[in-house]
Amino acid sequence: MPRPLRWALAIGLAGLLIVGGALLLPFSDWFPGGTVAGISKQEVVNGTAFNRLFPAPAAGEDLVFSQEKRGFSEARLKRDGAVVALLAISDTSTAPEARAKFESASEAIAGWPLVEQGPQASALLVADRFQVKVIGQGSGLDPQRRHALLGAFDLPRIAALEPSRQSRTKPRGQLAEQLGEALPAAPPATLQPQPELQPAA
Amino acid sequence: MSRSVLERLERLPRRDLTVLALKGISTLVPGGWSNPTSADQMISEVIGSQDPQLIRQVRIRADQLSGARAEGYGRALSLYDAVNRSQHATGGLRLLANVTAGLPLLKRISGITPPGDTLQAVDLSLKVGAELLAFTQVNGLPGDSFADFGAALADYAGEARVRMAALICFDGLLPLGDQALQRLDGLLGAAGSGDLHKLPAYGRMAALIPGRGDAAHMSFLRRGVDQWLGWAGGFVGQLGLSGQKAVAALEGSIGPWQGRFDQLAAFLDAFTDTYAHTGVQAVARRLVERAAAEI
Repeated sequence: MPRPLRWALAIGLAGLLIVGGALLLPFSDWFPGGTVAGISKQEVVNGTAFNRLFPAPAAGEDLVFSQEKRGFSEARLKRDGAVVALLAISDTSTAPEARAKFESASEAIAGWPLVEQGPQASALLVADRFQVKVIGQGSGLDPQRRHALLGAFDLPRIAALEPSRQSRTKPRGQLAEQLGEALPAAPPATLQPQPELQPAA
Repeated sequence: MSRSVLERLERLPRRDLTVLALKGISTLVPGGWSNPTSADQMISEVIGSQDPQLIRQVRIRADQLSGARAEGYGRALSLYDAVNRSQHATGGLRLLANVTAGLPLLKRISGITPPGDTLQAVDLSLKVGAELLAFTQVNGLPGDSFADFGAALADYAGEARVRMAALICFDGLLPLGDQALQRLDGLLGAAGSGDLHKLPAYGRMAALIPGRGDAAHMSFLRRGVDQWLGWAGGFVGQLGLSGQKAVAALEGSIGPWQGRFDQLAAFLDAFTDTYAHTGVQAVARRLVERAAAEI
């Protein structure tokens, strides 16, 4: 192979690599490993939306927000400077396995299934999607107090939360999107939360 | 493939110079420090249960979260690593300068090493800035208002008291003297962007610091330090920290020291990883708290 041809080939290959890399850069979030469970960020409800749905602290207690990510928000309930409990709301779309434990739930708060995880954690699944959890810290909390805290979250508004973009993999969401495109005036009825249709137990 | 946060936690040393230095400093801080290096124990503390199945679930979730690039846990750890490497490099240079200053033929080496105080102040501000950036990478911007964010930051600093005490003592009080916090603002005002470039960590952090150009980065660092100084001043006053007390506490765990304070600081910078060590532990704790709430 003549030398100029070799050079042209090498430069061409390097150029292709750079151009290809630059073209793919905006899609880095979609590559495997970029996001949790490979689900696009837009399909997960942002933690900002959860913040105002936490219970108001009782007298003598403090609620300090500690983490806020996509699909997750957590706050600490403090009394006299000591952490009494972790309160969290998370979107289970990145952790579908977390929903499995609610299938055998025998208790309910406000119609949503309730399970206990060990001696210090109580979890509630709202609208089959959002997990609300109270974990006792330090000396711990008794179950009644944890359940009262779970009930104090703004559960109806949690149930009404929507991600900024519906999942493309779910047939229900796809159908609603097609319906929405065909009939822009009609509200996508299938997407509305229907707590009264949820099993009470 | 890089290691997950919990793997890094379990690979932390249980007994070496870093741990001894931190043990020494922790005697100054109420509540003490236990060098958590077991992921399972940390998980069971958070969920308040010894159930192996629950612990396994939390661990799987934590590994999944720390493997996701967009979640920022890996980025926080690489920030800590960058600062740590930079600390080793500058500490080694300062130590070399100290050693060679006494030898006639090698005196020139001390001339090429950057002069102490300004660079030390920039180094401290870079560490505080890295702390702030790592906090937002790990915790996001918690709460709806700036007051919420401030409360979250103060809460985090309270939780990482030994970490903060080590930062204040090793990078402030020992090299810069007892008036370190009061002098810091003036020293940073005198520092130019050239000083920033002398620190190896800056090159790696530059992309993550908001703003474009060295001047913007410097002003971000100064604002971050201003925020932190208010808190740190109260912390120092509350615990009555001073260089003397820090040396006494360190002598209790490491052994007697007869040199100057800034030589001790250079020695610790060169041979310990206190910043990255406690950083991994702090990130792991937050990660476990999240994973426990998501399983």
